[in-house]
Amino acid sequence: MNGHPQYAEALALYALGALDNPQELAELESHLGTCGECRRELEALRADTALLALSAVGPKPPDRTRQRLLNAIAAEPRMPKKAPQPYAVGRLRSRWFSFAPVAVMLMLAVFSILLGFQVRNANRDVRAARAENERMQAELQRANEKLRQAKAVDDLMHAPDAWHVDLVAQHTRPQPQIKTIYSKQQGSLMLTATSLAQLPENKIYELWLLPSDGSAPMPAGMFKADKNGNGWMYHAMQSAGINAKGFAVTIEDARGSETPTPPIVFAPG
Amino acid sequence: MRVSGTQAPDHKDDAALIARMRAGDQSAMADLYDRYSGVVYGVALRVLANTTAAEDVVQEVFLQLWRNPQAFDAGRGRLAPWLAVISRNRAIDHLRKRAPEEDIDELPISTGIDLEDEAARKLAVEKVRAVLTQLPQDQRKALEMAFFEGMTHTEIAGKTGEPLGTVKTRIRTGLLALRKAFA
Repeated sequence: MNGHPQYAEALALYALGALDNPQELAELESHLGTCGECRRELEALRADTALLALSAVGPKPPDRTRQRLLNAIAAEPRMPKKAPQPYAVGRLRSRWFSFAPVAVMLMLAVFSILLGFQVRNANRDVRAARAENERMQAELQRANEKLRQAKAVDDLMHAPDAWHVDLVAQHTRPQPQIKTIYSKQQGSLMLTATSLAQLPENKIYELWLLPSDGSAPMPAGMFKADKNGNGWMYHAMQSAGINAKGFAVTIEDARGSETPTPPIVFAPG
Repeated sequence: MRVSGTQAPDHKDDAALIARMRAGDQSAMADLYDRYSGVVYGVALRVLANTTAAEDVVQEVFLQLWRNPQAFDAGRGRLAPWLAVISRNRAIDHLRKRAPEEDIDELPISTGIDLEDEAARKLAVEKVRAVLTQLPQDQRKALEMAFFEGMTHTEIAGKTGEPLGTVKTRIRTGLLALRKAFA
Protein backbone atom coordinates (compact mmCIF):
# COMPACT_ATOMS: atom_id res chain seq x y z
CA MET A 1 0.00 0.00 0.00
CA ASN A 2 1.93 3.04 1.20
CA GLY A 3 5.15 3.83 2.97
CA HIS A 4 3.65 3.34 6.42
CA PRO A 5 2.52 -0.28 6.66
CA GLN A 6 2.18 0.05 10.43
CA TYR A 7 -0.99 2.08 9.82
CA ALA A 8 -2.40 -0.10 7.02
CA GLU A 9 -4.95 -2.03 9.04
CA ALA A 10 -5.93 0.88 11.25
CA LEU A 11 -6.53 2.98 8.11
CA ALA A 12 -8.91 0.36 6.70
CA LEU A 13 -10.83 0.31 9.99
CA TYR A 14 -10.81 4.10 10.12
CA ALA A 15 -12.30 4.31 6.61
CA LEU A 16 -15.19 2.21 7.89
CA GLY A 17 -15.50 4.09 11.17
CA ALA A 18 -14.69 0.79 12.86
CA LEU A 19 -11.53 1.81 14.74
CA ASP A 20 -12.52 2.21 18.38
CA ASN A 21 -9.25 1.93 20.27
CA PRO A 22 -8.77 5.50 21.58
CA GLN A 23 -4.98 5.24 21.56
CA GLU A 24 -4.79 3.88 18.02
CA LEU A 25 -7.36 6.42 16.91
CA ALA A 26 -5.41 9.34 18.37
CA GLU A 27 -2.14 8.12 16.92
CA LEU A 28 -3.62 7.57 13.46
CA GLU A 29 -5.39 10.93 13.38
CA SER A 30 -2.22 12.64 14.47
CA HIS A 31 -0.33 10.84 11.71
CA LEU A 32 -2.98 11.69 9.10
CA GLY A 33 -2.50 15.32 10.00
CA THR A 34 1.03 15.21 8.67
CA CYS A 35 1.04 12.43 6.06
CA GLY A 36 -0.47 13.16 2.66
CA GLU A 37 0.30 9.65 1.46
CA CYS A 38 -1.82 8.06 4.15
CA ARG A 39 -4.61 10.60 3.57
CA ARG A 40 -4.67 9.54 -0.08
CA GLU A 41 -4.75 5.90 0.95
CA LEU A 42 -7.69 6.71 3.23
CA GLU A 43 -9.54 8.26 0.27
CA ALA A 44 -8.83 5.12 -1.77
CA LEU A 45 -10.08 2.92 1.08
CA ARG A 46 -13.28 4.95 1.24
CA ALA A 47 -13.69 4.27 -2.48
CA ASP A 48 -13.27 0.57 -1.68
CA THR A 49 -16.06 0.85 0.87
CA ALA A 50 -18.20 2.52 -1.81
CA LEU A 51 -17.66 -0.58 -3.96
CA LEU A 52 -18.90 -2.65 -1.05
CA ALA A 53 -21.98 -0.42 -0.94
CA LEU A 54 -22.72 -1.38 -4.54
CA SER A 55 -23.53 -4.90 -3.42
CA ALA A 56 -26.68 -3.46 -1.82
CA VAL A 57 -27.89 -1.59 -4.91
CA GLY A 58 -31.09 -2.99 -6.33
CA PRO A 59 -34.42 -1.86 -4.97
CA LYS A 60 -35.75 1.52 -6.06
CA PRO A 61 -37.41 3.81 -3.56
CA PRO A 62 -41.15 4.23 -3.93
CA ASP A 63 -42.44 7.09 -6.07
CA ARG A 64 -43.66 8.97 -3.03
CA THR A 65 -40.04 9.45 -1.94
CA ARG A 66 -39.26 11.34 -5.14
CA GLN A 67 -42.29 13.59 -4.71
CA ARG A 68 -41.45 14.17 -1.07
CA LEU A 69 -37.97 15.34 -2.02
CA LEU A 70 -39.20 17.57 -4.82
CA ASN A 71 -41.74 19.15 -2.47
CA ALA A 72 -39.02 19.77 0.07
CA ILE A 73 -36.60 21.43 -2.34
CA ALA A 74 -39.45 23.49 -3.80
CA ALA A 75 -40.12 24.74 -0.27
CA GLU A 76 -36.58 26.00 0.07
CA PRO A 77 -35.39 27.35 -3.27
CA ARG A 78 -31.77 28.36 -3.12
CA MET A 79 -31.90 31.18 -5.67
CA PRO A 80 -33.54 34.45 -4.62
CA LYS A 81 -36.86 34.91 -6.31
CA LYS A 82 -37.45 37.84 -8.62
CA ALA A 83 -39.36 40.71 -7.08
CA PRO A 84 -43.06 40.41 -7.89
CA GLN A 85 -44.40 42.66 -10.62
CA PRO A 86 -46.36 45.59 -9.19
CA TYR A 87 -50.08 45.24 -9.58
CA ALA A 88 -51.98 47.73 -11.71
CA VAL A 89 -53.37 50.56 -9.65
CA GLY A 90 -57.12 50.20 -9.19
CA ARG A 91 -57.16 46.38 -9.27
CA LEU A 92 -54.76 45.81 -6.42
CA ARG A 93 -57.20 46.57 -3.67
CA SER A 94 -60.07 44.44 -4.88
CA ARG A 95 -57.78 41.49 -5.75
CA TRP A 96 -56.05 41.71 -2.42
CA PHE A 97 -59.33 41.65 -0.58
CA SER A 98 -60.66 38.71 -2.53
CA PHE A 99 -57.47 36.69 -2.01
CA ALA A 100 -56.70 37.94 1.47
CA PRO A 101 -58.00 34.92 3.44
CA VAL A 102 -56.26 32.49 1.08
CA ALA A 103 -53.06 34.53 1.18
CA VAL A 104 -53.10 34.61 4.96
CA MET A 105 -53.56 30.84 5.10
CA LEU A 106 -50.78 30.29 2.59
CA MET A 107 -48.46 32.57 4.52
CA LEU A 108 -49.26 30.73 7.73
CA ALA A 109 -48.67 27.39 6.04
CA VAL A 110 -45.34 28.55 4.59
CA PHE A 111 -44.40 30.05 7.93
CA SER A 112 -45.19 26.76 9.68
CA ILE A 113 -43.11 24.81 7.18
CA LEU A 114 -40.20 27.21 7.50
CA LEU A 115 -40.48 27.14 11.27
CA GLY A 116 -40.51 23.35 11.19
CA PHE A 117 -37.36 23.30 9.07
CA GLN A 118 -35.69 25.83 11.32
CA VAL A 119 -36.48 23.82 14.44
CA ARG A 120 -35.27 20.65 12.75
CA ASN A 121 -32.09 22.35 11.55
CA ALA A 122 -31.51 23.85 14.97
CA ASN A 123 -31.90 20.45 16.64
CA ARG A 124 -29.51 18.89 14.16
CA ASP A 125 -27.01 21.70 14.69
CA VAL A 126 -27.22 21.26 18.47
CA ARG A 127 -26.61 17.50 18.16
CA ALA A 128 -23.71 18.07 15.78
CA ALA A 129 -22.22 20.76 18.04
CA ARG A 130 -22.51 18.44 21.05
CA ALA A 131 -20.77 15.63 19.19
CA GLU A 132 -18.06 18.04 18.02
CA ASN A 133 -17.62 19.31 21.56
CA GLU A 134 -17.16 15.78 22.89
CA ARG A 135 -14.63 15.05 20.16
CA MET A 136 -12.69 18.25 20.98
CA GLN A 137 -12.72 17.42 24.69
CA ALA A 138 -11.29 13.98 23.99
CA GLU A 139 -8.64 15.50 21.72
CA LEU A 140 -7.72 18.06 24.37
CA GLN A 141 -7.43 15.32 26.95
CA ARG A 142 -5.10 13.34 24.68
CA ALA A 143 -3.01 16.45 23.98
CA ASN A 144 -2.77 17.22 27.71
CA GLU A 145 -1.66 13.69 28.42
CA LYS A 146 1.07 13.93 25.77
CA LEU A 147 2.15 17.29 27.18
CA ARG A 148 2.27 15.83 30.68
CA GLN A 149 4.46 12.97 29.48
CA ALA A 150 6.77 15.34 27.57
CA LYS A 151 7.11 17.57 30.64
CA ALA A 152 7.84 14.57 32.84
CA VAL A 153 10.65 13.51 30.48
CA ASP A 154 12.00 17.06 30.38
CA ASP A 155 11.85 17.38 34.19
CA LEU A 156 13.69 14.11 34.59
CA MET A 157 16.39 15.03 32.09
CA HIS A 158 17.01 18.36 33.86
CA ALA A 159 16.48 17.30 37.46
CA PRO A 160 19.40 18.52 39.60
CA ASP A 161 19.69 15.05 41.09
CA ALA A 162 19.24 13.19 37.79
CA TRP A 163 21.59 10.25 37.91
CA HIS A 164 22.73 9.20 34.46
CA VAL A 165 24.04 5.71 34.59
CA ASP A 166 25.76 4.10 31.65
CA LEU A 167 26.19 0.37 31.82
CA VAL A 168 29.10 -0.96 29.84
CA ALA A 169 30.94 -4.21 29.63
CA GLN A 170 33.07 -4.82 32.65
CA HIS A 171 36.71 -3.69 32.65
CA THR A 172 36.10 -1.04 29.98
CA ARG A 173 35.90 2.70 30.38
CA PRO A 174 32.64 4.40 29.43
CA GLN A 175 32.91 5.79 25.94
CA PRO A 176 31.36 9.11 24.92
CA GLN A 177 28.14 8.28 23.21
CA ILE A 178 25.40 10.23 21.40
CA LYS A 179 21.99 8.90 20.51
CA THR A 180 19.60 10.68 18.13
CA ILE A 181 15.95 10.08 17.27
CA TYR A 182 14.89 11.74 14.02
CA SER A 183 11.41 11.92 12.46
CA LYS A 184 11.42 12.94 8.82
CA GLN A 185 7.67 13.56 8.82
CA GLN A 186 7.71 15.71 11.89
CA GLY A 187 10.96 17.41 10.89
CA SER A 188 12.28 17.15 14.43
CA LEU A 189 14.89 15.25 16.34
CA MET A 190 15.99 14.49 19.87
CA LEU A 191 19.49 13.84 21.10
CA THR A 192 20.94 12.42 24.30
CA ALA A 193 24.64 12.27 25.06
CA THR A 194 26.72 10.67 27.78
CA SER A 195 30.34 10.81 28.89
CA LEU A 196 31.05 13.84 26.74
CA ALA A 197 34.20 15.89 27.18
CA GLN A 198 33.71 19.34 28.68
CA LEU A 199 34.21 22.18 26.20
CA PRO A 200 35.67 25.64 26.80
CA GLU A 201 33.10 28.41 27.43
CA ASN A 202 33.41 29.74 23.86
CA LYS A 203 32.80 26.36 22.19
CA ILE A 204 29.72 24.20 21.66
CA TYR A 205 28.81 20.85 20.12
CA GLU A 206 26.77 21.17 16.91
CA LEU A 207 24.81 18.35 15.28
CA TRP A 208 24.60 18.09 11.47
CA LEU A 209 22.00 16.29 9.40
CA LEU A 210 23.56 14.68 6.32
CA PRO A 211 20.93 14.75 3.52
CA SER A 212 20.62 11.54 1.56
CA ASP A 213 20.68 13.44 -1.74
CA GLY A 214 24.28 14.39 -1.07
CA SER A 215 23.62 18.09 -0.53
CA ALA A 216 25.44 20.12 2.12
CA PRO A 217 25.12 19.14 5.79
CA MET A 218 22.31 21.00 7.55
CA PRO A 219 22.58 22.46 11.08
CA ALA A 220 20.50 20.29 13.38
CA GLY A 221 20.94 21.95 16.78
CA MET A 222 23.60 22.73 19.39
CA PHE A 223 24.22 21.27 22.81
CA LYS A 224 26.70 21.25 25.67
CA ALA A 225 27.69 18.70 28.24
CA ASP A 226 26.86 19.30 31.86
CA LYS A 227 29.40 18.78 34.61
CA ASN A 228 28.81 15.05 34.46
CA GLY A 229 29.32 14.87 30.70
CA ASN A 230 25.64 14.46 29.87
CA GLY A 231 23.77 16.43 27.21
CA TRP A 232 20.22 16.61 25.88
CA MET A 233 18.63 18.50 23.01
CA TYR A 234 15.37 18.74 21.05
CA HIS A 235 15.54 20.46 17.66
CA ALA A 236 12.95 21.31 15.00
CA MET A 237 14.35 21.40 11.47
CA GLN A 238 13.38 24.30 9.21
CA SER A 239 11.12 21.96 7.26
CA ALA A 240 9.80 18.43 7.44
CA GLY A 241 10.39 15.68 4.89
CA ILE A 242 14.17 15.84 4.67
CA ASN A 243 15.68 12.43 3.96
CA ALA A 244 18.75 11.87 6.11
CA LYS A 245 21.48 9.34 5.53
CA GLY A 246 23.18 10.12 8.81
CA PHE A 247 24.30 12.63 11.41
CA ALA A 248 27.61 14.04 12.53
CA VAL A 249 28.82 16.28 15.35
CA THR A 250 31.48 18.96 15.22
CA ILE A 251 32.77 21.47 17.73
CA GLU A 252 31.92 25.06 16.80
CA ASP A 253 32.15 28.56 18.26
CA ALA A 254 29.55 29.13 20.96
CA ARG A 255 27.03 30.86 18.67
CA GLY A 256 27.10 27.95 16.22
CA SER A 257 27.92 27.73 12.53
CA GLU A 258 26.10 27.33 9.21
CA THR A 259 28.77 24.94 7.90
CA PRO A 260 30.59 22.22 9.81
CA THR A 261 34.14 22.91 10.92
CA PRO A 262 36.37 19.83 10.71
CA PRO A 263 37.15 17.56 12.36
CA ILE A 264 33.99 15.49 12.86
CA VAL A 265 34.06 14.40 16.48
CA PHE A 266 31.07 12.05 16.34
CA ALA A 267 29.75 10.07 13.39
CA PRO A 268 27.43 7.07 12.99
CA GLY A 269 29.05 3.93 14.29
CA MET B 1 -36.43 17.43 -17.36
CA ARG B 2 -35.37 13.82 -17.27
CA VAL B 3 -32.16 12.43 -18.56
CA SER B 4 -32.67 10.32 -21.63
CA GLY B 5 -32.70 6.63 -20.91
CA THR B 6 -31.62 5.70 -24.41
CA GLN B 7 -28.18 7.24 -24.27
CA ALA B 8 -25.58 6.25 -21.78
CA PRO B 9 -24.76 9.36 -19.76
CA ASP B 10 -21.11 10.14 -19.26
CA HIS B 11 -19.15 11.96 -16.60
CA LYS B 12 -19.90 15.31 -18.24
CA ASP B 13 -23.59 14.68 -17.75
CA ASP B 14 -23.06 14.39 -14.03
CA ALA B 15 -20.89 17.49 -14.01
CA ALA B 16 -23.53 19.42 -15.98
CA LEU B 17 -26.31 18.25 -13.67
CA ILE B 18 -24.30 19.21 -10.61
CA ALA B 19 -23.56 22.64 -12.08
CA ARG B 20 -27.26 23.19 -12.78
CA MET B 21 -28.20 21.94 -9.35
CA ARG B 22 -25.71 24.32 -7.78
CA ALA B 23 -27.33 27.15 -9.72
CA GLY B 24 -30.62 26.27 -8.04
CA ASP B 25 -32.19 24.25 -10.87
CA GLN B 26 -34.69 21.94 -9.20
CA SER B 27 -35.13 19.79 -12.31
CA ALA B 28 -31.39 18.97 -12.21
CA MET B 29 -31.88 17.75 -8.66
CA ALA B 30 -34.75 15.58 -9.88
CA ASP B 31 -32.50 14.12 -12.57
CA LEU B 32 -29.77 13.36 -10.05
CA TYR B 33 -32.36 11.70 -7.86
CA ASP B 34 -33.58 9.58 -10.77
CA ARG B 35 -30.06 8.49 -11.49
CA TYR B 36 -28.80 7.75 -8.00
CA SER B 37 -31.76 7.22 -5.68
CA GLY B 38 -31.38 3.46 -6.23
CA VAL B 39 -27.82 3.60 -4.91
CA VAL B 40 -28.74 5.69 -1.87
CA TYR B 41 -31.90 3.75 -1.07
CA GLY B 42 -30.34 0.32 -1.63
CA VAL B 43 -27.53 1.02 0.83
CA ALA B 44 -29.83 2.59 3.43
CA LEU B 45 -32.31 -0.29 3.16
CA ARG B 46 -29.56 -2.86 3.56
CA VAL B 47 -28.35 -1.12 6.73
CA LEU B 48 -31.72 -0.34 8.28
CA ALA B 49 -33.90 -3.17 6.92
CA ASN B 50 -36.80 -0.78 7.16
CA THR B 51 -38.31 0.90 4.11
CA THR B 52 -39.66 3.95 5.96
CA ALA B 53 -36.35 4.64 7.66
CA ALA B 54 -34.50 4.07 4.37
CA GLU B 55 -36.78 6.58 2.64
CA ASP B 56 -35.94 9.09 5.38
CA VAL B 57 -32.24 8.59 4.67
CA VAL B 58 -32.81 9.14 0.95
CA GLN B 59 -34.64 12.36 1.72
CA GLU B 60 -31.93 13.48 4.11
CA VAL B 61 -29.01 12.75 1.78
CA PHE B 62 -30.48 14.46 -1.28
CA LEU B 63 -31.81 17.37 0.71
CA GLN B 64 -28.38 17.94 2.21
CA LEU B 65 -26.88 17.88 -1.26
CA TRP B 66 -29.45 20.46 -2.32
CA ARG B 67 -28.80 22.66 0.68
CA ASN B 68 -25.05 22.38 0.48
CA PRO B 69 -24.12 21.49 -3.11
CA GLN B 70 -20.51 22.61 -2.60
CA ALA B 71 -20.14 19.65 -0.24
CA PHE B 72 -19.48 17.39 -3.19
CA ASP B 73 -16.18 18.24 -4.82
CA ALA B 74 -16.18 16.75 -8.32
CA GLY B 75 -12.44 17.27 -8.50
CA ARG B 76 -11.93 14.73 -5.73
CA GLY B 77 -14.14 11.90 -6.85
CA ARG B 78 -17.33 10.73 -8.47
CA LEU B 79 -20.83 11.40 -7.20
CA ALA B 80 -22.12 7.82 -6.99
CA PRO B 81 -19.47 6.48 -4.59
CA TRP B 82 -19.75 9.64 -2.53
CA LEU B 83 -23.53 9.29 -2.24
CA ALA B 84 -23.18 5.59 -1.41
CA VAL B 85 -20.83 6.28 1.49
CA ILE B 86 -22.84 9.26 2.73
CA SER B 87 -25.97 7.11 2.62
CA ARG B 88 -24.29 4.33 4.57
CA ASN B 89 -23.04 6.79 7.22
CA ARG B 90 -26.44 8.44 7.61
CA ALA B 91 -28.12 5.05 7.83
CA ILE B 92 -25.69 3.94 10.54
CA ASP B 93 -26.44 7.19 12.40
CA HIS B 94 -30.15 6.30 12.22
CA LEU B 95 -29.39 2.76 13.32
CA ARG B 96 -27.50 3.95 16.35
CA LYS B 97 -29.87 6.86 16.94
CA ARG B 98 -27.04 9.35 17.09
CA ALA B 99 -26.26 12.76 15.64
CA PRO B 100 -24.20 12.75 12.43
CA GLU B 101 -20.56 12.15 13.29
CA GLU B 102 -19.06 14.01 10.39
CA ASP B 103 -20.12 16.85 8.19
CA ILE B 104 -21.35 15.91 4.79
CA ASP B 105 -18.58 17.99 3.25
CA GLU B 106 -15.65 16.25 4.91
CA LEU B 107 -15.51 13.02 3.01
CA PRO B 108 -13.12 12.98 0.08
CA ILE B 109 -13.32 9.71 -1.83
CA SER B 110 -10.77 8.95 -4.46
CA THR B 111 -11.99 6.68 -7.24
CA GLY B 112 -11.89 6.68 -10.98
CA ILE B 113 -14.63 4.10 -11.31
CA ASP B 114 -17.43 5.45 -13.45
CA LEU B 115 -20.86 4.53 -12.13
CA GLU B 116 -22.89 7.12 -14.01
CA ASP B 117 -23.89 4.88 -16.85
CA GLU B 118 -26.66 2.58 -15.66
CA ALA B 119 -25.37 -0.37 -17.65
CA ALA B 120 -21.87 0.11 -16.26
CA ARG B 121 -23.33 0.39 -12.79
CA LYS B 122 -25.17 -2.89 -13.17
CA LEU B 123 -21.98 -4.57 -14.32
CA ALA B 124 -20.11 -3.12 -11.36
CA VAL B 125 -22.79 -4.37 -8.96
CA GLU B 126 -22.54 -7.88 -10.40
CA LYS B 127 -18.76 -7.75 -10.20
CA VAL B 128 -18.77 -6.62 -6.57
CA ARG B 129 -21.20 -9.38 -5.63
CA ALA B 130 -19.04 -11.93 -7.44
CA VAL B 131 -15.93 -10.75 -5.61
CA LEU B 132 -17.75 -10.92 -2.28
CA THR B 133 -18.93 -14.46 -2.89
CA GLN B 134 -15.34 -15.47 -3.65
CA LEU B 135 -14.04 -14.05 -0.37
CA PRO B 136 -13.65 -16.46 2.54
CA GLN B 137 -16.88 -16.40 4.52
CA ASP B 138 -15.27 -15.03 7.69
CA GLN B 139 -13.65 -12.24 5.75
CA ARG B 140 -16.85 -11.24 3.99
CA LYS B 141 -18.77 -11.39 7.25
CA ALA B 142 -16.28 -9.12 9.04
CA LEU B 143 -16.44 -6.64 6.17
CA GLU B 144 -20.22 -6.60 6.11
CA MET B 145 -20.53 -6.30 9.87
CA ALA B 146 -18.28 -3.25 9.80
CA PHE B 147 -19.89 -1.60 6.79
CA PHE B 148 -23.56 -2.52 6.89
CA GLU B 149 -23.98 -2.98 10.63
CA GLY B 150 -21.65 -0.19 11.71
CA MET B 151 -19.84 -2.42 14.17
CA THR B 152 -16.38 -1.53 15.44
CA HIS B 153 -13.57 -4.03 15.21
CA THR B 154 -13.81 -4.65 18.96
CA GLU B 155 -17.52 -5.39 18.64
CA ILE B 156 -16.88 -7.72 15.70
CA ALA B 157 -14.17 -9.54 17.61
CA GLY B 158 -16.51 -9.86 20.59
CA LYS B 159 -19.33 -11.23 18.48
CA THR B 160 -17.26 -13.64 16.39
CA GLY B 161 -14.83 -14.67 19.11
CA GLU B 162 -11.91 -13.89 16.81
CA PRO B 163 -8.78 -12.04 17.97
CA LEU B 164 -8.73 -8.31 17.25
CA GLY B 165 -5.75 -8.66 14.94
CA THR B 166 -7.54 -11.27 12.85
CA VAL B 167 -10.57 -9.02 12.44
CA LYS B 168 -8.37 -6.11 11.40
CA THR B 169 -6.55 -8.18 8.82
CA ARG B 170 -9.76 -9.63 7.41
CA ILE B 171 -11.32 -6.22 6.93
CA ARG B 172 -8.33 -4.72 5.18
CA THR B 173 -7.75 -7.78 3.02
CA GLY B 174 -11.40 -7.79 1.99
CA LEU B 175 -11.35 -4.13 0.97
CA LEU B 176 -8.15 -4.63 -1.02
CA ALA B 177 -9.69 -7.60 -2.81
CA LEU B 178 -12.48 -5.31 -4.02
CA ARG B 179 -9.98 -2.69 -5.13
CA LYS B 180 -7.93 -5.27 -6.99
CA ALA B 181 -10.99 -6.51 -8.88
CA PHE B 182 -11.59 -3.01 -10.26
CA ALA B 183 -7.95 -2.07 -10.82
